[in-house]
Formats: sequence, structure tokens, C-alpha cells
Amino acid sequence: MTKISAKNVNVFYGSKQALFDVSLDIMDKEVTALIGPSGCGKSTFLRCLNRMNDVIDICKVEGSIKMDELELNSRKLDVVRLRENVGMVFQKPNPFPKTIYENVSYGPTIHGMAQSKSELDQIVEMSLKKAALWEEVKDRLDEIGTGLSGGQQQRLCIARAISVSPEVILMDEPCSALDPIATAQIEELIDDLKKEHTIVIVTHSMSQAARVSQKTGFFHLGKLIEFGDTEKIFKNPDNQQTQDYITGRFG
Amino acid sequence: MNEAKRKLLNKRYRAEANFKLFGQIAIGLALLFLAVFMYKIFSKGYTAFQKTWIVTEVHYDKELMLIETDNPSLEDLENADYYDIAYKAMTHLDPSLPEEDDRQLIQMVAFTYEQEVKNHLLKNPSLLGKIVPIRLTASDDLDQVHKGNYPRDIPEEDRRVNDYQLKIYDMLNERGDILSKFNLSFFTNPDSREAELAGIASSFMGTVFSILVCLAFSFPIAVLAAIYLEEFAPKNKFTDFIEVNINNLAAVPSIVFGLLGLGVLLAVFNLPRSTPLVGGITLSLMTLPTIIIAARASLKAVPPSIREAALAMGASNMQTTMHHTVPLSMPGTLSGTIIGLAQALGETAPLILIGMVAFVNTIPGTPVDPAASLPVQIYIWSESAERGFVEKVSACIMVLLGFLILMNLAAQIIRHKFERKWN
Repeated sequence: MTKISAKNVNVFYGSKQALFDVSLDIMDKEVTALIGPSGCGKSTFLRCLNRMNDVIDICKVEGSIKMDELELNSRKLDVVRLRENVGMVFQKPNPFPKTIYENVSYGPTIHGMAQSKSELDQIVEMSLKKAALWEEVKDRLDEIGTGLSGGQQQRLCIARAISVSPEVILMDEPCSALDPIATAQIEELIDDLKKEHTIVIVTHSMSQAARVSQKTGFFHLGKLIEFGDTEKIFKNPDNQQTQDYITGRFG
Repeated sequence: MNEAKRKLLNKRYRAEANFKLFGQIAIGLALLFLAVFMYKIFSKGYTAFQKTWIVTEVHYDKELMLIETDNPSLEDLENADYYDIAYKAMTHLDPSLPEEDDRQLIQMVAFTYEQEVKNHLLKNPSLLGKIVPIRLTASDDLDQVHKGNYPRDIPEEDRRVNDYQLKIYDMLNERGDILSKFNLSFFTNPDSREAELAGIASSFMGTVFSILVCLAFSFPIAVLAAIYLEEFAPKNKFTDFIEVNINNLAAVPSIVFGLLGLGVLLAVFNLPRSTPLVGGITLSLMTLPTIIIAARASLKAVPPSIREAALAMGASNMQTTMHHTVPLSMPGTLSGTIIGLAQALGETAPLILIGMVAFVNTIPGTPVDPAASLPVQIYIWSESAERGFVEKVSACIMVLLGFLILMNLAAQIIRHKFERKWN
């Protein structure tokens, strides 16, 4: 089932066009990986899905992006509601400089998801468990989140993102600042999360895309060159550029 | 390595050595100026923290005090006559002095001697009828003689302390009846025309009230302006224009703000003259741009990743700002505020224009009472002719510097303790 359907998306930064006519369908409860060389527009596309491009004044998005029946690229869209439903994990772990507990409880609190303290405690515990961090931090929830190791911080950010039970989680190179062990933990986690969430992940690592995703899109110079099943993209791509990229001939 | 290359290399090393030397000379000069300045202030001013008293005997004679009842109440003591006994307390130091020259002895103590005698008895009513030692504040001239600030070898007619008074002083000093102790009244007395009685209480309180008023006016306005400009305002020509003007405002000479205070606060709004309220508002115009600039800088220093994290969680712009950005920027804002206030603390010109230069011999209890301020007090005293005020000026500078150092220290501590280092 299609969760998000993008049609002819063009993005401009001022007069510079960053995305050209991108159309792709993201399937529900699947991991979709977006790959491509730096500056190819994959992160820009990702940020269209939760309207984070709104932060940039000069950014202009054209085209249609539908999530279920909701048009995301509409002036009337309530971005606060959208972001409640579409969580995001960033490239560099960016926990709030507050306690571990406050980091995870922030979303449920501002969206009024918990009626009582115990309910909130439950949400925090659940989210941390899902993010495979609970065992490591359950005794020090009141410690500052920024004091954790890089990998733990990133899992804390994932816990924060899933605390509001979003349908979609966007990940923007979530492992690029982590060591291989932490990366492996996050990848395992992504595998678990896709049971309940639709995941879109931007990654520089082709092996990561191959390991975690079901669908892969290859971007180059702002264009979606090829999109399809991960296995096909990596084993037998239709496009020569894709072939060159995944075999390491450029990028 | 050939000859030319070696020469070039030596030249480069020499240039570096010279540059270092010049830098060290510059720092040395700066430190020297500071040391000379501090030495001047301290060597002149430290004596102001000592006060001189003359110890004499007073006879609380009921008859002379015109007390008729046998068992006088405190009220009776309050209404009694102290002139004669106080006068006698001084004149009996030299019974041989002819009566018409009594003034010479009376001049050796502060003109408040009668009040001092009265306060002494009111504190210890049981002394009534007894002859007890009492210490009376020495006049500023005698005080200066005792501290060695007053040359004794100039001709008598050029001296404010004559030979006879010096003789009495020497006699008392030999007996150990000249007392020199910590000058508490310098901190508790308001200003006075008499140097021996003048204190900084009125100007200190004036400064405290001015700073509080200044803080109350400038901090909320400046922080709101900074938050709006940094987090909410669209970035366009108009906001650029506002930013340029805020920076210009920070560079406006303070006397211009004084004129504004005079023309608007006093003339249009009819606020009470010479008060810390008006002074504080005038100063807040000065600190406003300083705080706005500091607050904006510390808001800017909060990394965008924190804002993105909050926005991506579905926080509104307002929530992102109030829950994350503003709390994280507070240490920088606060230390900037304190530095702005410290600048305002030393301001004199605008306060003179709004009338805070008036002679105030009462301690202000509220911001709408007339008051001076510490820097203005320095200015007032430095205009006074009496020798006793010279040390007061330096002492007042020391207090002001102490105040400034404390504030800057507070700013430093806030900065180091609470400001977050972003990696």
C-alpha cells in the first residue's frame, strides 16, 4: 500500500533548482532508502516530507506530495500536526540539552498525549525500549542526554521521534557520525521499527541501503535516476548511471 | 641551504621576535598605567576608611540639662538641653582658655557634637548625673592632621588648624585621647557639606535604585526585541535597517540620552526631578541596545540543530523558542545584561542632566526620592575645596570600582558556569 506519493516535485533555493520533477511512491511499513552523491537532492526531498524546508526562507517547493489523502505541499496544511505524524532523525545526534527523560517526554507533553505522570512514564519507557536504549539508561533518566555516547544519543533521538507514535520516520544519514558498532545497532533498530512505522532513510552508505531497505531511489544532480526494489537496484539496475554509482565508479 | 635562503629565514625569525617584543611592551605599558592609577587611588583613598575621634569627658549634669524631675523618662531626656554640657565637654579640655576663645576648641570637633552627646545619653540613660568619657567626631581639618595629610609647617595664617589647636591636639594625642578607627559612618551617612560627616549612603542607594529601575525597564524590552528579531521577524531590508539602528543606538554618546531624559521624562511626563526613577529610565535607554545585541548574539549561538529537533517534534515556532532557544541563550543574555548595567553604573553625564547632581543629605528610601549616584558623588566631591574631600573622592572611586568588579565577576561566573559549549 502506498503511504506517500510524490508527483513532479520541484524544489528551488532562490533561483537555483535543487530537485527536478521527482515522482516516487513510498510504501507503508517499508524502509525506503534514498542514495546518491553529495548535493544530489536526496536530503532536500526528505525534508519536503515533513515540511522542514519551511525553515529556509528562500526555499520553494512545487508539485504534489500526498500522504494517504493529505496534500503535504499545501499552504493550508498544519505543519505542527504533520510533524506529529512524521518524525525525523537527523544526521548529527541532536538531543536537547535536557535530561534523557525530558528528551523523550517532550513530544508527548506538547501534544498532550499523556493524561498523567504515570502514563507519560509509560510512554517514555516504551519509546526507550523500542529504541533499544532502555537497558542502558533506565537508572539514569535524569542525566543530561548530551552526556551519552554518540550512538546512544542517536538512539535517544530515535526514541524521541517515536515517542509520539508517528506513522512515518524520516532519517537523514542517521549513522554518518557513528562508529560501525553503533551503526549496526541502529540498523538493527530500523529493521524492528519498520513493523510499525514507514521509514525513509537517506544514506551515503550503499551497503547500508542494501542491508536495511526494501525500496531504493538513486538521486543524481537533483533528478531521481532510478527507483525500485532494493534488490533490483543493486543487482541489476536499468540505468547505466545507477550501475556506475553502485559499483563505485563515481560519487 | 643556500646563503639567500638562510638570510630570508633569519629575517623571518627576527620579525617574529620583534613582533613578540612589541606585544610585550604594549602589555607592560597597559599594566603600568593600571598600576599607577590603582596606586594613586589607593594611597590617597585608604585613609578615608579611618575616622578620627577626640575622647573627652562629659558631665551629664541634670541642672545644666534643665531636667527638673527626679526620675526623667526617655522623653524628658529627649527634650533636655544638651548645649551647655556638650559645650563644656569641649571647653574643659583647656580651662585656662579665655571664654571668648572657646570657639577654637569647639572648631576641633564636628558641628554635630551636641547631637552626638545627646545620642550617647539616649543610648545609655543610666549615665545621667555621671561624668563619663565620650568620643566626639573630630573636625575634618583635625582628621587630616591626624592622618598626616595636612602639612603642619606652612605659616599659621595659611592653615585652617592654628598653632593653639595643634598644641591641644598634640596634648590629646600624647594622652591617647585621639582615637582612630574604622569609618563606618562613611557607609551609613548621606552626603554632607562637612567632610568628616559626609558618607556615600545616599549616592550608594541612589545607584542601587537607578540600576534596579534600569534593569526593570531595559531587560524585558531588550529580551523581547531580541527574541522577536532573531526568531520571528522576517529577514528583509526593514529588519536590516532596524538592526543597523540598534547598533547605532549603542554608539550614541550618553549625554544625548541625558538630554532625552530631560526633555521627555522631566518636561513632558513630569516625573520627579533628581530621582533614581528618571535616572534609571534614562540609563535603560543606554543599556537597551547593549542587551539587545548580547541577547541576539547568544540566541544566534544556539545551534540550528536544536531548533530543527524541536520543530521536527511538532513544536510550534513559539514553543521551540520558549522551551529551547531562549533558556539556552539565557546565560549569555544575562552576562551581557550585567555588563550593560556595569556600564550604566559608571555613567555620570546623563544623570547630571536630569538633576541627580543635586546635594542630597537624606538617604533615599524609594526610587522616587531625590538621590545622587556614586559617579556623580565623585564628581560633586571632587569639586569641593576642603582637603577632607580629597580622600573621600578616592574612597568613593574604590567603592565604585569594587561594585563594578563584583558585577563583572558575576557576569564571568554566569558565563563560565552556565554557558554551554557546543561541539
